[in-house]
Amino acid sequence: MVLPPFALHRPTTTAQALSLLAEDSVPYSGGTELLLAMRMGLIRPTALVDLKRIPEMQEIRTDRSRLLIGAGVSHDRLATDPLVEQHARLLAAAEREVGNARVRAQGSIGGNICFGEPRSDVATVLIALEAELGLANSAGERSVPAEEFFLGPYWTARDATELLTAISIPLPCAEGVYLKFQTVERPTVAVAAVRRPGGDYRVVVGAVGEVPVWADYPGVGEVDPVDLVGRTSPVSDLTGSERYKRHVTEVYIRRAAELLAESER
Amino acid sequence: MSVERRRVAGQAVQRRDLFEKVTGAATYTVDVTPPGCLHAKVVRSSRAHARILGIETSAALAVPGVIAVVTASDLAALFPRFGHIIPDHAILAMEKVRYYGEPVALVVAENIVAASDGAEAVQVRYEDLPAAMDAEAALAPDAPILHDDDYGASGDESFSEMAATPGLPDHGDSPPRTNVAHTVDLSWGDVDAALAQAHIVVENRVHYPMLYAYAMEPYNAVASFTEDSLHVVSSAQHPFMVRTDLARIFSLPLSRVRVQVPYLGGGYGSKSYTKIEPLAAVGAWVVRQPVKLVLDVEEAIYTTRADSAAITVRSGFDAEGRILARAFDIVLDSGAYADNSPLVLAKAVNRCFGPYRVPNLRVRGRSVYTNTSPASSYRGFGAPQGALAGETNLDRAAAQLGIDPVEIRRRNLVPPGGEILPGKRGIDADLPADLELVAESLQRDARTVPGHGIGVACTASDAGAYPISTAIVRVQTDGSVTVLSGSTEMGQGSRSVLAQLVAEELGVPIEAVDVVQSDTAMSSYERTTGASRTTTLVGLAVQRACADARAKLTEMAAEIEQCPPESLAQGDGVLESADGRKLAFGDIISRWFGGDAGEVTGVGTLRRDGRTQKMPPFWEVGMVGVEVGIDPETGVVRVDQLVTVADVGFAFNPKAVEGQDLGAATQGLGGALFEELVYDGPQLVNPNMVEYRVPRMTDLADKIESIVVERGDGVGPYGAKGGGEGALNPMGAAVANAVAMATGKWPSRLPLTPERVWRLVNDLPEVDAE
Ligand SMILES: Cc1cc2nc3c(=O)[nH]c(=O)nc-3n(C[C@H](O)[C@H](O)[C@H](O)COP(=O)(O)OP(=O)(O)OC[C@H]3O[C@@H](n4cnc5c(N)ncnc54)[C@H](O)[C@@H]3O)c2cc1C
Repeated sequence: MVLPPFALHRPTTTAQALSLLAEDSVPYSGGTELLLAMRMGLIRPTALVDLKRIPEMQEIRTDRSRLLIGAGVSHDRLATDPLVEQHARLLAAAEREVGNARVRAQGSIGGNICFGEPRSDVATVLIALEAELGLANSAGERSVPAEEFFLGPYWTARDATELLTAISIPLPCAEGVYLKFQTVERPTVAVAAVRRPGGDYRVVVGAVGEVPVWADYPGVGEVDPVDLVGRTSPVSDLTGSERYKRHVTEVYIRRAAELLAESER
Repeated sequence: MSVERRRVAGQAVQRRDLFEKVTGAATYTVDVTPPGCLHAKVVRSSRAHARILGIETSAALAVPGVIAVVTASDLAALFPRFGHIIPDHAILAMEKVRYYGEPVALVVAENIVAASDGAEAVQVRYEDLPAAMDAEAALAPDAPILHDDDYGASGDESFSEMAATPGLPDHGDSPPRTNVAHTVDLSWGDVDAALAQAHIVVENRVHYPMLYAYAMEPYNAVASFTEDSLHVVSSAQHPFMVRTDLARIFSLPLSRVRVQVPYLGGGYGSKSYTKIEPLAAVGAWVVRQPVKLVLDVEEAIYTTRADSAAITVRSGFDAEGRILARAFDIVLDSGAYADNSPLVLAKAVNRCFGPYRVPNLRVRGRSVYTNTSPASSYRGFGAPQGALAGETNLDRAAAQLGIDPVEIRRRNLVPPGGEILPGKRGIDADLPADLELVAESLQRDARTVPGHGIGVACTASDAGAYPISTAIVRVQTDGSVTVLSGSTEMGQGSRSVLAQLVAEELGVPIEAVDVVQSDTAMSSYERTTGASRTTTLVGLAVQRACADARAKLTEMAAEIEQCPPESLAQGDGVLESADGRKLAFGDIISRWFGGDAGEVTGVGTLRRDGRTQKMPPFWEVGMVGVEVGIDPETGVVRVDQLVTVADVGFAFNPKAVEGQDLGAATQGLGGALFEELVYDGPQLVNPNMVEYRVPRMTDLADKIESIVVERGDGVGPYGAKGGGEGALNPMGAAVANAVAMATGKWPSRLPLTPERVWRLVNDLPEVDAE
């Protein structure tokens, strides 16, 4: 299908970008989701506000207790950046496996999160790492925990006039394993199993349901796959029936927990 | 038997199109935009089966930039359909639509955005009709009938000759009308008597999925009329076949229809015969300006797909595992229009029972109309469907008899020269030797651990299509050579192979040879580019054209040297006189014409006589083995080993042969493990690149061995015969056999997705009851 006409704005500061946003004037980063949706006629914005020329959106840095990632940073950079590798290995590992080479080169972490696609690797990992998402609009800024950001398929806590500016991950970062079952372009089931800095454990199950679900456990031996599967809401599609998805979700939770336990031995 | 190594032929020369393609400089149809070109967008049916009550075009015509909206009613002065076997395919739907996605109108505009907006503004009013969404529904007694008309099938001799049983295609025109587009039956011996006496009778039923060939380039065409001539640039495999359809539509002499084909971005059979050329052409005919039509992937999937199949097979064996009789019932889901499915059916019938001694045979084949995207040629031509049935049946028999799967094949394969189809060419290959190569390689690296299994499968395809080829070789005054051929370079590397052949035959450097292809006005005639024929059949025509050029050069040299032609010896790029002087080809031409000008034209033709009298022109071998490992908890199948035999007689370019062989095997792996077009209601759920899952690099086997076998036993130049689809044909069957060995359960449906294998392992139904 043909891309319909639109106006293109190219602000160089967050403030400029915010002043340009409106209901039909939307943020545009890598365009890997946005332009496809426009081609398919799902949305027809009159203007795109390109975020790629805003330097602070491209930053990766630490300030004493947090790793800060600009919303515009590409998957590729996250997969290879030394700071990310050093402080948030799980994120780097997951980013290496996102989509395909073109999507990783072009797509941004912010675009991934804001699109609210249920089968996001990033969402699952950010909940495991207890990231905070920085949102801004012309009235001010706020911070939303990743746990509270994903409200449903293609639906997030972000207001249409808000920009996601940065992702902030508390340090030291949780460590663990990220396993996914994937047969097509996006994961069918994704499981992040981590040891939190406080010493307890968190298992996040993403991609299989409308939003990620998670549970915290005092010990890795207490992870209860059946209970966690019960909290997901898989639907039958080409990658599997509901019954099959529940089954592989259980298998993957169990395998992730076993791997985590092994890694601690 | 081994083959002679040669100077150029047989060498892994660098592809001619390498740099052009890698740098993006190569021209494809999408790159062609003539001056004054308009752009078209197709309005497609939103129903599977419906009567068209009216088409409202005024809103579309009001869109700025829209020039015309073409519908079937504009085509009254034309022959409004196409189809080389059954001319049933409406260019634009007439009176009713037969599948979701069928072209109903064509919007022509100044630019593609206007054309798209215009297409959205066209209002079509429908009255829904009951739809037959699969072959079972279409064959039901009260099924809605797709085609009420009798279109009159083609009496083309070549078509009936490619089926084993002669006679015109029967398109089901005797009342009562059914949805059977075509039937093919083949039999010999007394199957029932043989089955009654058999030691065991093994029966099973399989389903082969609906596939899309996934050429990277979808269908594109640019058409223009000048005076009374039509010029079409298109992504067609067979420009001369398309020319025939276009000439009939516009009642033009063949010479006034020019179909030109630049590089193709892959074809795999999906670009054979006529596709969207008539659409672009009727657009250009209405507006009298060039019209360009470019499809996206979804539109391409709704243009052509491969026939899915349901096949039942019963075979009787003696206690030693020798085949006594085989009976097949094949039903192809051919979609809304016949296109090339009658031939796919004929080939499925010829190929399903395998390259074995089958003393008694009965095959019943039906190609069925359904309200789905029309099916047509696809790499393998019915062989993959048939092999899934026949080759899994053979493994079941082996298991029942306690015989190794390789051994049961050893006991049944036809020997070199043996007949597969009575009265046809005997097999020009040593299948038993090929089988041993596969078995040895698999065994060498086999892992005998739980969850692992090995599968082999064999096919032989009556390939080459109908032997009609011509070639022209033009020798220039500087000794360089221009080769004209109507065959299409579609990624398979034919341009390089034909250049190698000419360099070899004339003894000139390969750099001095240029190959010009696929232009019905400028190149020589070629029937088709398909059925793995180019190296073999076009090769023979080119070889003859080279001989003709040499003969002419010899005559000319004899005249200027005033010596008897027999006294001149043939050398590399030269003739040698009796006194030892070398007369370069270019100098002979210059001297004969005078004034450093002129050229010599060698002409080569090929038809059904002499060495290409017997059909098929050659057999194409498919001999593969795989080892798989299965994750019993998830059902994921991982391919550990892939072994193929490319039995090509003579490998013009061994690297190209290997590439084709592994490409075919990998495409076969797609249908075996991942690929399937899925209908849910009237439309496809996955007509796109994200959800139609093709094989990726990461799916490839850990060990891949492509064994190139050269025994010089082909009919083509230096003993060559075709390659390029062989390894696809048995892949589905081999994978199914390996999965059966790994799980102890017999799969009956491809692709073997993780869920299917998980259900198989756990004895769960294919789908859960609601
Ligand atoms: C073929 C394919 C495969 C994929 N596979 C995977 C996978 O395996 N795992 C996975 O996790 N993801 C996958 N993805 C998703 C991919 O990660 C996203 O497409 C990409 O990250 C989106 O980023 P973008 O910059 O291109 O976003 P855009 O397309 O530019 O924007 C997406 C949406 O977010 C909004 N937006 C963008 N940036 C901001 C911002 N800073 N503030 C507010 N709103 C914003 C846009 O308005 C738009 O609505 C896949 C995508 C494709 C196309």
